[in-house]
Amino acid sequence: MSTIISTQNLCKKFGSQYAVDHVNLSIESGRIIGLIGPNGAGKTTLLKAILGLTTFAGDLKVLGLDPRKDRDELMEQVSFIADVAVLPRWMRVWEAIDLVEGLHSRFSRDKCMQFLAKTKIGLDKKVKQLSKGMVAQLHLALVMSIDARLLVLDEPTLGLDIIYRKTFYTNLLNDYFDEERTIIITTHQVEEIEHILSDLIFIQDGKIVLDSTMEEVQKSYFELMAPEESVAAARELGPLNESSIFGKHIFLFKGVDAGKLEPLGEIRTPNVADLFVAVMGEEQ
Amino acid sequence: MNITWSVNKLKVLMRREYWENRGAFRNTPAILSLITISFMLMGLVIKIRFDNEGYTFREAMRLFASQSEAMRGYEVTQSLMALSGFFVFVMSIVIFFYLLGSLYDDRKDKSILFWKSLPASDELTIASKLFSAMFVIPVIFWLFLIATEIIMMGIGGMMVWSADQNPWTLVFGPAEPLKAWGLVLAGWLANSFWMLPVYSWLLLVSSKAPRVPMLFAILPPVILSVLQAWIGFLRTFQLQDNVLGVTSKWIANSPAILAGQITPDGDQGGNVSVSLGMPVTSTFDHAPTLANMLDRLFSQQMLFGLIVAAVFLFAALWFRRRASDG
Repeated sequence: MSTIISTQNLCKKFGSQYAVDHVNLSIESGRIIGLIGPNGAGKTTLLKAILGLTTFAGDLKVLGLDPRKDRDELMEQVSFIADVAVLPRWMRVWEAIDLVEGLHSRFSRDKCMQFLAKTKIGLDKKVKQLSKGMVAQLHLALVMSIDARLLVLDEPTLGLDIIYRKTFYTNLLNDYFDEERTIIITTHQVEEIEHILSDLIFIQDGKIVLDSTMEEVQKSYFELMAPEESVAAARELGPLNESSIFGKHIFLFKGVDAGKLEPLGEIRTPNVADLFVAVMGEEQ
Repeated sequence: MNITWSVNKLKVLMRREYWENRGAFRNTPAILSLITISFMLMGLVIKIRFDNEGYTFREAMRLFASQSEAMRGYEVTQSLMALSGFFVFVMSIVIFFYLLGSLYDDRKDKSILFWKSLPASDELTIASKLFSAMFVIPVIFWLFLIATEIIMMGIGGMMVWSADQNPWTLVFGPAEPLKAWGLVLAGWLANSFWMLPVYSWLLLVSSKAPRVPMLFAILPPVILSVLQAWIGFLRTFQLQDNVLGVTSKWIANSPAILAGQITPDGDQGGNVSVSLGMPVTSTFDHAPTLANMLDRLFSQQMLFGLIVAAVFLFAALWFRRRASDG
């Protein structure tokens, strides 16, 4: 295991506003990290800094390189899908394959053909003739055929239907990911990726508000479903968040001993979406 | 990162330029060829229809044959070069729009993020676009020009033959098509270097313009020229050379062979400016010879042009690096 990304006081300002505000992160290899935040939280800016697509202040090393200065070298080992459907519309599928093969020393044409064989994408089709889902499939096939150490996916499934989204992540996990690689994903559809994540990073107003492994999250966060009579006792323990559904009260606790919660009701691990709402609420 | 690898990447990037612009790079000269040949065929139809038993054509051939062999060869060679003027005019328009879109279109449709995800430096990207404009487009246009002229010579030869003359001894024998084609290509390639300041300006505009790059390419020199002319007018009541004047003079000095330059007695056609409708006096000898082309490429003006081009190209690179930021 080695450190893939490390930042110290990483900052990026637009005007007087911080898009990324003194971020300190350390990301190890072999992880799948979910970078979660509301719109305008600085996710994309942070990823752009990591990919050398924007200027910034502070220290940032990706694979030991400075993304601003060593961008060309970095791109040999880093792949990214910045947005859905950014493949050039004029391009034919075989041209895209030829191009990536010609420019990328770590690209495997055989792998790419295998991935494409599982889809309905014809090699002679132009990108503009493909559906949005097929463009995403093509892009993923190209990217997964590159033997990269870091893969960055910024909203890779935005606008795709549920079937494409499911197969997208299944392919990623089954055919690509291994201990040598690291994947960073941002998405609004958290519930669809939470089962594949190993790490969770929440970002709000440019600041990191949660940086934890999924295991740690499962150990320290609990959701309590409490009947009416235990509500007062539950509130005593200082929940992060409280909501009620169908007359049942739901509390979210951080770092509270599970033994204390058990007598008050039903305990379970919160899902990422609920955790997100709770943590963001706490920050505000 | 060794040089062979970079050269290979450059080749791949230039192939991409061709793929993206097949319409402009290949179809346009193909259409030009078709237009030229159909005009010739239309002429042929008119001749057959109205020229009574080919009398006029026969007379023209007799007149042509009465000239010395050297003069005949000269005239054929010159007309082969003259047709290139039509091609060079269209080619300039193609290059103009190609360069204006080259660093703009992918910013507009966001596919720049795909290009930036590949390990190809911004330097190589800009080089691939500049070299496509300098070499790929001229060579393709030139190949179509040659093909067109060979077909035209074939048709012309048959016409001469039908007028009971031997096309080989009368027309083709004394002509020097290889020399004509060589000079045209040399002129176009020399033109590519000569036009570096203009091409670099277009790349710079393309790398930064937020919209309608054509406006941003044309307006600054026009506004500057109007200002210059106005200030000059206020000062001396006399029109001085302004940016537009310098630019049009520059273009008129191009080593590409322009139709207006070719006069039968082969002297320097100083009347290019007249044919472009601009009050321009030519500084260079425009007779289509290699020496004259080289004369321009190794001139003080060229050195100045290269410095201007370098400044524009560095600015374009600077903007391209930051194009995905924001």
